[in-house]
Amino acid sequence: MDPLTKICADQYVVMRLPSDNCKLVELKVDSSVSLGKFGAFNVNDILGYPLGTKFEICYDEDTAAEPIPTSGKFKNKIPIGRIRVLDDSTLIEEEKLNNFDSSENNQDLINMGSDIQKLTSDEIEELKKQSVSGNEIISKIIESHGNFHKKTVYSQEKYLKRKKQKFDKIFTVDYLSSSALLQYLIDKSDIQRIMDMSQESLGMLLNLANVRSNGTYLCMDETGGLLVYFLLERMFGGLNDSTDTGKIVVLHENEHPNLDLLKFSNYSEKFINEHVITVSLLEFFEPPTMEEVEQRFAPLKKEQLYELKSGKKNTYYRKLKWYHNQLEIMKVTNEIEYDALIVASTLQLTSLIPKLGEKVHGSRPIVCYSQFKETLLELSHQLYSDLRFLAPTIFETRCRPYQSIRGRLHPVMTMRGGGGYLMWCQRVLPASEPEVTNNIEVRQEEEGESSNDITKKQKLTV
Amino acid sequence: MSLTTSCFSEYKDIVQEGDLVLIWISRDQIKPVKMDSEASFNTRYGTFPHKDMIGKKYGSQIAIRTKGTNRFAFVHVLQPTPELWTLSLPHRTQIVYTPDSSYIMQRLNCGPNSRVIEAGTGSGSFSHAFARSVKKLFTFEFHQVRFEQAMQEFKEHGLLDENVTITHRDVCADGFTIKSGDTTSFDLTNVQNVDLNANAVFLDLPAPWEAIHHLDSVIAKGEKVGVCCFSPCIEQVDKTLESLEKNGWTNIEMVEIQGRRYESRRQMVRTLDDALERLKDIKRRKLAGMERRKRQLEGLKTEEEKQDQNNGQPVTEKTQFNPFGKGERVKEGDPNYQWKEVTKIESEIKSHTSYLTFAFKITDKTRVEESK
Repeated sequence: MDPLTKICADQYVVMRLPSDNCKLVELKVDSSVSLGKFGAFNVNDILGYPLGTKFEICYDEDTAAEPIPTSGKFKNKIPIGRIRVLDDSTLIEEEKLNNFDSSENNQDLINMGSDIQKLTSDEIEELKKQSVSGNEIISKIIESHGNFHKKTVYSQEKYLKRKKQKFDKIFTVDYLSSSALLQYLIDKSDIQRIMDMSQESLGMLLNLANVRSNGTYLCMDETGGLLVYFLLERMFGGLNDSTDTGKIVVLHENEHPNLDLLKFSNYSEKFINEHVITVSLLEFFEPPTMEEVEQRFAPLKKEQLYELKSGKKNTYYRKLKWYHNQLEIMKVTNEIEYDALIVASTLQLTSLIPKLGEKVHGSRPIVCYSQFKETLLELSHQLYSDLRFLAPTIFETRCRPYQSIRGRLHPVMTMRGGGGYLMWCQRVLPASEPEVTNNIEVRQEEEGESSNDITKKQKLTV
Repeated sequence: MSLTTSCFSEYKDIVQEGDLVLIWISRDQIKPVKMDSEASFNTRYGTFPHKDMIGKKYGSQIAIRTKGTNRFAFVHVLQPTPELWTLSLPHRTQIVYTPDSSYIMQRLNCGPNSRVIEAGTGSGSFSHAFARSVKKLFTFEFHQVRFEQAMQEFKEHGLLDENVTITHRDVCADGFTIKSGDTTSFDLTNVQNVDLNANAVFLDLPAPWEAIHHLDSVIAKGEKVGVCCFSPCIEQVDKTLESLEKNGWTNIEMVEIQGRRYESRRQMVRTLDDALERLKDIKRRKLAGMERRKRQLEGLKTEEEKQDQNNGQPVTEKTQFNPFGKGERVKEGDPNYQWKEVTKIESEIKSHTSYLTFAFKITDKTRVEESK
């Protein structure tokens, strides 16, 4: 079964709940998943359906998957219901509203607080305990609402939506795309950890950095692997058996890298080890020399290896791993001209980027994400006066969502602020200092307004 | 030597004869040029022979000295990327800019699994970005001339040899199915009907609602498929929403992307103290001037002033105190002054490009039994 299109076992998926919250779940065969007040279900019941499918948890008496214990250890355990695939929820919604009268306007509507609802909260709790379906509870609540018919259609819809978010036992199972992982972290309010990133900024970063399946990218990621996951998904699309050759060299400022978030990805450890190489900043800037490495360890020949005792063999293999790691560090440090530099770091960019940029191949992009414009401003001024970097530019991109209902289109009233900024420039190779004959001046200087940034830059060196 | 491998899909090291390169003169002047050792690239700053670029590393700065005046001028030679191409593009139609196109690609989860339908092709700017990232791109253009131009361009860029096909088609009238007899770059030998099996759709059409119902027969079954309709008017969005709902698309959301570009600039730091000091200086000199005139009228002159008069020069004391460089041409960033780094937004912003309406659909929700 294809884990990219179908719900498969042992896969992390993102579940969207009626409350609009997300939940990250690993699907273990023969286990159950509890969604709190929205119910619980058996994992086996959803396997094999397309990712993106919407399910309802049903608790009709004759279909309940297991009896609800009324006492004992599992008294508070959420009962497991049966699964039903939902087809078109919009139709159901419309039908339901048509059964009620509504008002042209709300002039008869008087706010009486909770008095207007004849069902007490205890009674509603009782209904919930009986595990009546969300629709039934909502119907009962509306029936018992003294003023429902005095509301306008619009406000009835809003009311219904609110109640649905509370009582519906519906969830959607989606593929854990890079954007979905980001959204999950935002919902969890891990904003600071992910440097206030947004889907639109990261989408733009991937395009500006010209990320492809066959590139070798130098990357710093302070978000614990979110940025690396965006790169991996764009490069390999979740394909564990991808034959593409792309690689990401991730630099870290701590002794050990932090790419924790990759544990949610569906890439195997083997795949990640093949395509993601982690190197500390110290190793990167002060790599070991071949002599140093060989002084400490030299690989044995096959015959010599056979003669080793098993205990020594283990030590040998550990050292061999270290040896190969050192070779790799030397390779990524000295031999590779990178196809892009992609940085999301709170280290001082003016000291970091020019040094890392040195390792980038000519005509390849450098993209830097920052939560704040000011750090990128400082950086872009610095790069501007450095002939190795062409046209540093600061971008901001924001997505403005709309209430997307026919006849009632308008931007939503509140949205998330933030989303960060991007600095984009090209790595270039300055021509060697021109021979000074006489009177060399930059011609473009005379062009006034139209004179461009490279001229200004050139002037600094002439 | 020829363009059989796309300069858009292979990272190249050295500029070679026949390469399509982008010559960067300035931010607003980026020119696509095919390398030909016999030819030259002319700018108003001078002539750059291609042979000076061939053999150089991509990204190299190419410098020349203009004839006669012996002045120094230069350009940069870059390898095309879809984003740089978008900046250099010959516009056949309004184009989809990077803030929009990158968001659409991200939201439709474009990657090596994506099979994308694009209609219409337009200037082909977005096609290049799709082509870089997806498995297959099926692009449709109904305008005969634009179709031919785009096909020629994709051919030259090597896209048609890789993962792109372009078809001449009015998708609103005739749908998306590619079949024998079509005017298309698709190789239809031995093929009757092409199974597009698309899992992402981008509709940049004046009336997307007329094309949406045609999608059912060409989108992938049993998996989630995303569509994005790109329309400048809210009335178009309204009709699109109606059509999407009617055709069973869900999770419908319309958004707008606002992209902003900032220039890094500097503003002079001008302190209150300096402003006060300057006013005091002016006042002091004014007083001194009045004193002098008074003495002049009274015939009282200092030795110095007498000497000045002997030269026939009226005395005007030039101030040494000019903290803000008034009356001088001060260049932004002049090291003799103090500067604050600031950002300046573009003088003309793209305040509205288009509304992006997204929707998703799973055509066949039947369950696949585990077959492990």
